[in-house]
Amino acid sequence: MRSERCREWREQLGAYTLGHLSDEERAGLKAHLEGCPECRAEADSLGSLARLLPHADPSRFGPAPVPPSGLADRVAAAIGAERRAGERRRRVRLGLALSGATAAVAAAVLAIFVISDGGGSSPEQHVAFRDLPSGVKIAATLEPHAYGTEIRMYVSGVRSGTLCRVFLRGPNGGGVPAGTFRYRWGEDSQAVLSSALDISRTVAVVVRAGPRTFTAPVGHSDSAAIDNDPEEDTT
Amino acid sequence: MQSGALKHERDVREAYAAHAGELYGFALRSLGDAGLAEEAVQETFLRAWRAGDRFDPQIGSLRTWLFAILRNVVIDLGRARAVRPKVAEGGVEPAVEPIDDALLAWQMEEAMRQIGEQHRQVLVETYYRGRPYAEVAAELGVPEGTVKSRVYYALRALRVVLEEMGYEE
Repeated sequence: MRSERCREWREQLGAYTLGHLSDEERAGLKAHLEGCPECRAEADSLGSLARLLPHADPSRFGPAPVPPSGLADRVAAAIGAERRAGERRRRVRLGLALSGATAAVAAAVLAIFVISDGGGSSPEQHVAFRDLPSGVKIAATLEPHAYGTEIRMYVSGVRSGTLCRVFLRGPNGGGVPAGTFRYRWGEDSQAVLSSALDISRTVAVVVRAGPRTFTAPVGHSDSAAIDNDPEEDTT
Repeated sequence: MQSGALKHERDVREAYAAHAGELYGFALRSLGDAGLAEEAVQETFLRAWRAGDRFDPQIGSLRTWLFAILRNVVIDLGRARAVRPKVAEGGVEPAVEPIDDALLAWQMEEAMRQIGEQHRQVLVETYYRGRPYAEVAAELGVPEGTVKSRVYYALRALRVVLEEMGYEE
């Protein structure tokens, strides 16, 4: 800005850009712009800005909308679930990698990976099936939900095509169905099932694989050893 | 936030605190539905989390990156919603505001919110409502020349805000 005179012209540039000057005012300003490159540059810049104004809707200039207060928690919960799902996928890959090992070695390693994966803070509960026939591996992870319990089954070593039926046993001995799946050799041996029985009332997971029945205790006293604490593991 | 941000859930919470307001504002502006806008914001942070180690603060700001993700999410949600049949006659399709127009509109409105009240007021009265300067001046109790110069300073303020928001012509 070269002078006080320029400032006076410039303060008209807004109205000029928006087409709000009278013919006489506009003619005067144009004459100044002819001889003043700085003011002309400013007029050009404001001109491009003015072309954006019609894009805005003046009824939306009020206070910005605020995200609902619960959204932060929902985002955090969704990301937490995603992280846990990622960890489960890694666990299944590890479990499958073990399928060639001998039963005894596999059982020991299975117990270790179940233990090391407990994580402490997760509400998931890992359940191990013991005294399985040679070559058969079964494990389950239980996760509490509002509707009941989610059960992730890992099975290997039974005959391909075997129909597996899963139940959760309640405190008075009754079994609440958790669904069925068919074991396919060589495929991902994970099945995700659900049961209406609350995890806190679940005392055992029962798997009927063809004619054979396998039961693993849940909870709270004797399987606690294989949940989190390697010191107490006796496998 | 260091390189490879959004690796931890804590990073996402910080990013949410800093940017969720603007992201939600734009999602609501372009989708026109609070439920969908919420879904869009949640999906944006989920995608950002999944791709967290691909974010490079050397290349651009976290805000710009999140907006780029949200832009895609809004397109996806808009497509999912626009399953209604196209109007066949004359090949005319239903008018849906293209995403970049919506982004520009939202940016302009956000910039308008950020300039001072006096500046916004003169632009609304003289430009958007098309009222004569003399009338606006009388209402505000200031000389007409003051309204005129305020319009100039309002446009300058708007330009500064848009530049800060990363707007490029």
